[in-house]
Amino acid sequence: MRNLLLTLCVLFAPLLAQAQVVEESLPRDPGPLNFIQGDSYEQWILQSLAGDALVGIRADGRVVPRLATAWMVQKDGTITFTLRPDARYTDGSQVTAEDVAWTLQELRRDPKASPTKRAILDGAEVGIEQGRPWIRTPKPAGRLLLELARIPIAQKGHPERGSGPFSFRKEPGAWVFLRREHFLKPRIDGIRFRLLPDQASVMTALQKGWLSIGAPAPRRQNEVPATHRLVTQPMHAQLVVWSRQGVGPLQWLERWRKDAFPPQLLGQNARPSRGLWPETLGFEVQTIEAGTPVPKGTGAFQLLYGAGEESIEKLLLALRERARRDGFDLQLTPLEQGLLAERLQKGEFQLACSAVVFDPHPWAVLEYLEPKGPMNFTGWKQPRLAALVARIQQPGDLAWRDLQLLWGQSPAALPILDFQSVIWVAKQLQVEPSPLGLYLSTPGAAGWRWNK
Amino acid sequence: MKRFASGLLVWALGLGLALGLPGSAWKGAAPPTFPWAALGPAVLAVGALALLAPWLAWRGGPGLATRRSLALLEAPPDLLWAGLLLALWPAAWGPPGTSAWLLAFLVASLPGEVRWLAQAMPAEHPFPQAWGRLAVQQVRRTVLLRLWGRWLAARLPIWLTATLVLERVLGIPGLGTDWMTRVAGRDRAGLAVWVLLLALLWAASQRWERESA
Repeated sequence: MRNLLLTLCVLFAPLLAQAQVVEESLPRDPGPLNFIQGDSYEQWILQSLAGDALVGIRADGRVVPRLATAWMVQKDGTITFTLRPDARYTDGSQVTAEDVAWTLQELRRDPKASPTKRAILDGAEVGIEQGRPWIRTPKPAGRLLLELARIPIAQKGHPERGSGPFSFRKEPGAWVFLRREHFLKPRIDGIRFRLLPDQASVMTALQKGWLSIGAPAPRRQNEVPATHRLVTQPMHAQLVVWSRQGVGPLQWLERWRKDAFPPQLLGQNARPSRGLWPETLGFEVQTIEAGTPVPKGTGAFQLLYGAGEESIEKLLLALRERARRDGFDLQLTPLEQGLLAERLQKGEFQLACSAVVFDPHPWAVLEYLEPKGPMNFTGWKQPRLAALVARIQQPGDLAWRDLQLLWGQSPAALPILDFQSVIWVAKQLQVEPSPLGLYLSTPGAAGWRWNK
Repeated sequence: MKRFASGLLVWALGLGLALGLPGSAWKGAAPPTFPWAALGPAVLAVGALALLAPWLAWRGGPGLATRRSLALLEAPPDLLWAGLLLALWPAAWGPPGTSAWLLAFLVASLPGEVRWLAQAMPAEHPFPQAWGRLAVQQVRRTVLLRLWGRWLAARLPIWLTATLVLERVLGIPGLGTDWMTRVAGRDRAGLAVWVLLLALLWAASQRWERESA
């Protein structure tokens, strides 16, 4: 009898072990893990599991140690890092200052390197002094630290090898991460991602118990299966409308967004925006202070938007109905995403809206304001901008308020919706929600655990 | 020669469209990497279709072209087959994998392809039926061998694109998805390579089709 039990235990041991692996899905193929060239949301997730950046961002948005246990900011903005001695790559070798310097230099040298990371390191100088890596850029140290959290360090000469809490293994049709010895002490055995681009298939997989975590279809969010629970997370994401017709249409939109969207239509994925910049990034609610009253009379505005998102289309229809009550004809024109991006970049629009995911730091809003900012589609400029930006050193600085006031006098864009992420999570799985999502904060997935 | 030239012109137009695709990627996203892992299953699926469809057409003959049951099976889109498979797949078996995808692909594609081939076959009454079963089989074999290249070149692009639905629903990375990702990311060079490869396949099929002296 005892032998039989032992045999059964041995036979079922792999199955029991497998049950501790978190099953997840990815909407797009992330491509091979590459800390230098990889650049997509899915690739960021892979890199956050298999790699460590010098610093991390906690769920509340603060910078915390990761590969570096400490850092020192000098007067000229140079940041020198002290690396932790117990950080090791998957081949067992220690993470060194040479690896840090190589990763940062390779990102600047390789023309195929991630455009996002290259932008972070724009104008950067990197070096090693007394065995410690240092970096200097024209950006304020507070911003650079927050941005460095998005650059995991790869082993010198091995862009695919990181030192993260999980080791990566590619299986046919799956991306598998297994727990390894790591200073963050991960408590789950691993995570297996499958590619599931179709939302209906994600729903089926969730209901059949094939996924531990997944985003349900907006219409069916509340039909949570008995095995899962509903988790909502704020996101640094908004639906933004740009105007090339001046501030007038935005003043109307600011009024309409308050009562245009019925709660049952919004669901849990969105709520009307209140200010000009994301509150999740720490900005206070600011209204448009154009100094001129809301223009009177009736009129027509053409609003371009990205076709294909059913929930967004419904919300825009509700907005159109609200505009009609004030005598305005909001002409909604759907465009394929690539065509919309081109129209935005060329400035060929009256009003145009798109979902925007901001980088996880307040400097992300400068993309609206800076002359060559990737979201400055209207050619917005202000002579006081440079002086104000130069005064900003840290996320909570008073100069942020002055900058927002300046933008509020003649904004070129207005958010109408703040997005939230709504997911179903297996009841036994303990995760930490954050505006960065479940993976990109520190400790991220390393902090998850299965409840007994 | 004139037909070949006009065909080339169509492919050149396709290439031009791929290279001149309007629009741009949001914030200059990098083009996707080619899903090499999907190549094996795709070759397997297309290979199975390339052998099974002519074999079934050879067995059934031109009569299959008017077979109502085959037309009924052809009617539902592959979305239905994929959805049905996913819905009926037992939860305890875990998510369906590549073999299930292959099954759905064949169920979705075979009826239509068999009918396509059967329609292109010449009538068998009174000849070669009058000459006996062996003669019928010989004629079918000859016809199908002549049709095979042209059929594959004409239908392969359609099926590679159509797999997109199966891949999305069943969660199998594949070549159909690669098309869509390149269009969405405005990877004009990648799309041009695709068009060139399909044009080469078409050109090769034109060589196979030539009458032997």
